[in-house]
Amino acid sequence: MENSLMSLLFILLLLATMLNLARLWRPMAQGEFFSSALLYIAVITFVTILVLRTSTGGRIPFANSYEFTLLFSGGVLLFAIFVRRGLDSPLFDLTVGLVAILLLSVAGTFSSEIRPLMPALQSGWLYAHVATAVIAYGSFALAACLGMVYLAQTGESGLSLSALDERIYKLVVGGFTFLTIVIITGAVWAEEVWGSWWSWDPKETWSLVSWLVYSAYLHARRNYNWKGQKSAWMVIIGFAIVIFTLFGVSLLLPGLHSYL
Amino acid sequence: MNIFRRYLKLFVKKLASMQTAIYLLLIVGAVSALGTLISQGQAPAFYIHHYGKPVAFIINGLGLGNLYQVWWFLLLNILLSLSILACAYQRLRRGRKISILASLLMHLALVFILMGAIWSLGLAHDTLLEVKKGESVSLFAYGFPEGTLTLNDFKIDYYPDFQPRQYTSSLTLSAYKGQNYEEDIYVNNPLKAGSLKIYQSSWGWVMQLSDLSSSAEKNICLKERESYLLDEQEKISIQAIFLPDFVDSKTGIHSQSPIPNHPHAWLTILQQDKIIDMAIIPLGEDAELASCHLRFDSFDTYSGLHIKQDSGVYMVFAGFVLLLTGLGMRYGFEYLDKRGSR
Repeated sequence: MENSLMSLLFILLLLATMLNLARLWRPMAQGEFFSSALLYIAVITFVTILVLRTSTGGRIPFANSYEFTLLFSGGVLLFAIFVRRGLDSPLFDLTVGLVAILLLSVAGTFSSEIRPLMPALQSGWLYAHVATAVIAYGSFALAACLGMVYLAQTGESGLSLSALDERIYKLVVGGFTFLTIVIITGAVWAEEVWGSWWSWDPKETWSLVSWLVYSAYLHARRNYNWKGQKSAWMVIIGFAIVIFTLFGVSLLLPGLHSYL
Repeated sequence: MNIFRRYLKLFVKKLASMQTAIYLLLIVGAVSALGTLISQGQAPAFYIHHYGKPVAFIINGLGLGNLYQVWWFLLLNILLSLSILACAYQRLRRGRKISILASLLMHLALVFILMGAIWSLGLAHDTLLEVKKGESVSLFAYGFPEGTLTLNDFKIDYYPDFQPRQYTSSLTLSAYKGQNYEEDIYVNNPLKAGSLKIYQSSWGWVMQLSDLSSSAEKNICLKERESYLLDEQEKISIQAIFLPDFVDSKTGIHSQSPIPNHPHAWLTILQQDKIIDMAIIPLGEDAELASCHLRFDSFDTYSGLHIKQDSGVYMVFAGFVLLLTGLGMRYGFEYLDKRGSR
């Protein structure tokens, strides 16, 4: 059942991608409506997968790479519903769809077997750490998608460039706040489980690097008025670092988070 | 003197500039990232073997193999802390608005965290003890101020597929700062006695053997993967692997579960690290190996306990609270301000 729903989710996202590519090529009268509809159905499908997996496994699916990547992908789709309010941009819908497809494809490379929790993961901190990570990284993903819309400057997004820039800023503020909580919950948990709140583990270090990059964005914006194109580029680079933190580090730099 | 003052003034001015703080922030980030690309904590020879002489010369020369403890990385962090403090002070001089106070709080929080980390690096003390059931250990002997630690029991719970569910050690910590503690600790639930914490960290098997080679029977207590010297002159030692549920099948010799249903000890005799004999002995039986006559008497588990005393962590956690408060104030009020002005 879960596999069928995953296939359905893929098909919905592929349809949305094709639709939005077509919209970019030639505007359609009902394009926005169909793109929204596909997004809503994809979110409902994702929530159903989550409920099914929770009932099958007897726990919230927060525990391994497959589950986290699935949550991340679903989180991006869910938050996109709110972020795209007042925004009529096929490019935004296209980039959101592509990010979700990319994440689901990465999830497909991990084992989807539901395994019981190993001792190190049996903690309430797991849920706080993963839930805040999904919100933080979801916000950064959407900020990067809006950054691309900004850079394309099509002028047909339904929002002025300054409003787009302001929306990117709000997403970064939200993402940065939650990334701070991710790092703090991770540190407090590490102190409880490993006896060391910071071990310079590659995943820890790269999440700190992401934090520093977004912190530089906020400082540059406030003190040097870095807005517009510069800040759009920064959120795209920031998201590339986030993706490396999540997947590149796991593949290339094994450490304490290797079991994830 | 004037030149010194002039340079000091210039240094302070540069340190207090936001640009310096951002550069330092990015440099610390880049250096930290570099540390993840180089295997940490290895001997100098490791880098020569893996990276070649020229690169290893740079790695060893700059201490990149122990990057997060090297003096210049600590200096960078101290400079960053000072720069953040100076920037925060400059900002405070501009006014007392909530956003400025919030920003000050966040920057102070970072200094708290960095100072706490440096405190821990210099003054924290930790050790890993492997304690057998019923054994008592004086913590004083391991560099802690006082206290005696006793392992009353150690057990492992398994899921039906023999994946470990939890490791639990029943501990008594007595005469520690005038108090006694009796607690079951498990992964994610350490014993906390002030700034002293005891964590469930690892475990292993321990085997009791008897050396029957001479008329005076000798007892040998051997942990897995540990070497025991049998004959100092001949440099003969013994190592053991415990097979709790021994099976000799087509796929080879192995343990089919971690439950000791059919316990065997796989003994290896070495002479100067060269294997000279080996045997698999069932519990209660004996065997002749090389020139030794050994009997496998009993087995048990030991618990690996990570003991740590660290006051710096309180400073770090205080920094976390300040950081979250500052973040909430800074962006919470900004949000409310924008909503109000709409």
